[in-house]
Amino acid sequence: MSRVNDVGGQGGFGALEIEADEPPFHADWEARVYALNSVLVRNGVYRLDEFRDAVERMPPRAYLAASYYERWLYAIETLLAGRGPAGEG
Amino acid sequence: MSGEHTSLPVAARVRRLEERLIGAGVVAQEQLDEALGAMLKGASPVNGARIVARAWSDAGFRERLLADANAALPEVGLSMAGGIQEQRLKVVENTATTHHVLVCTLCSCYPIGLLGPSPSWYKSEAYRARVVREPRAVLAEFGLELPESTTITVWDSSAESRYLVLPRRPAGTAGRSEAELAALVTREGLIGTAAV
Amino acid sequence: MRAEFRAGERVRVRAVDPAGHTRVPRYVRGHVGRIVECQGRWPLADECAAGVAEPRVEPVYTVAFAAGDLWGEGGHEVTVDLWESYIERAGKDGA
Repeated sequence: MSRVNDVGGQGGFGALEIEADEPPFHADWEARVYALNSVLVRNGVYRLDEFRDAVERMPPRAYLAASYYERWLYAIETLLAGRGPAGEG
Repeated sequence: MSGEHTSLPVAARVRRLEERLIGAGVVAQEQLDEALGAMLKGASPVNGARIVARAWSDAGFRERLLADANAALPEVGLSMAGGIQEQRLKVVENTATTHHVLVCTLCSCYPIGLLGPSPSWYKSEAYRARVVREPRAVLAEFGLELPESTTITVWDSSAESRYLVLPRRPAGTAGRSEAELAALVTREGLIGTAAV
Repeated sequence: MRAEFRAGERVRVRAVDPAGHTRVPRYVRGHVGRIVECQGRWPLADECAAGVAEPRVEPVYTVAFAAGDLWGEGGHEVTVDLWESYIERAGKDGA
């Protein structure tokens, strides 16, 4: 079953929004989500492909409504859920 | 997934997650600081510009870069080891008759450890959906109009390689230093949505 | 360590629709392309994502597709990076 992330060739997303002189991150929390994911992969908590899989399993409506790093946060929370004490909550 | 996550402001969700993982010994605060510091200090489009400027200035380096970018990067003091895991880098060279443009249609693959986070438009559905289908129209939205005779190749990074475009050296730049040449190269030029 | 396909060979992307994670974009499934190069060998993303302890390690190829074949129009080419088990040899007539 194709997932919502597989958009190559799809129409309807409209024109590009190009931001001049864009910073690496738009908010401190985005940078921290980036760092968290890097360390979780390096520490062997999950694999990068498992992370991609978790992003893709987001319900399509939520995926399309979420910002890029909100998707990351969702995926990290999903992967940690049910993986011991660190995943609770 | 419990419902409480989405009721919290996102920054608070992130802080709570960090605290829980640090408390459980899954990650250390120093590791998080180090990962972020390495990204913010070590990865930047400036690295890509330096690679391009060297390739324009040194024909031998250009050849080695195109043949095996990972092996050539140490010549300019860089490597592909800065990301989450070391990746293969493939450099594709624009010519008078061919133009290259990069995308990841399935997610957002990009040489992030070398160049830093990709621009938001690169991660957007609009770009990922459209550039494989109608690259000329997409490039035109960036203000890049290519002659009809130019062949366009779109590179969809769907596996373990990351790509970098080697733009054409602008006319009238003979005799310029590497630093002067590097200053001409933009992040869009390295992705292929600008000429340089 | 051998790679099954060589540069210039015509291959067809298997017409799959897996339930889990995969790195075959929909838009090339079933299409014929040309091998550009073998990039090396990597663990199969599908098995990594599924938590397989020792995922298969396979050659990954850069495969070029003509826009006209994918979309019915367009003069450009699109290259996609595909694990060996995603593709099979195409017949001489491209079948």
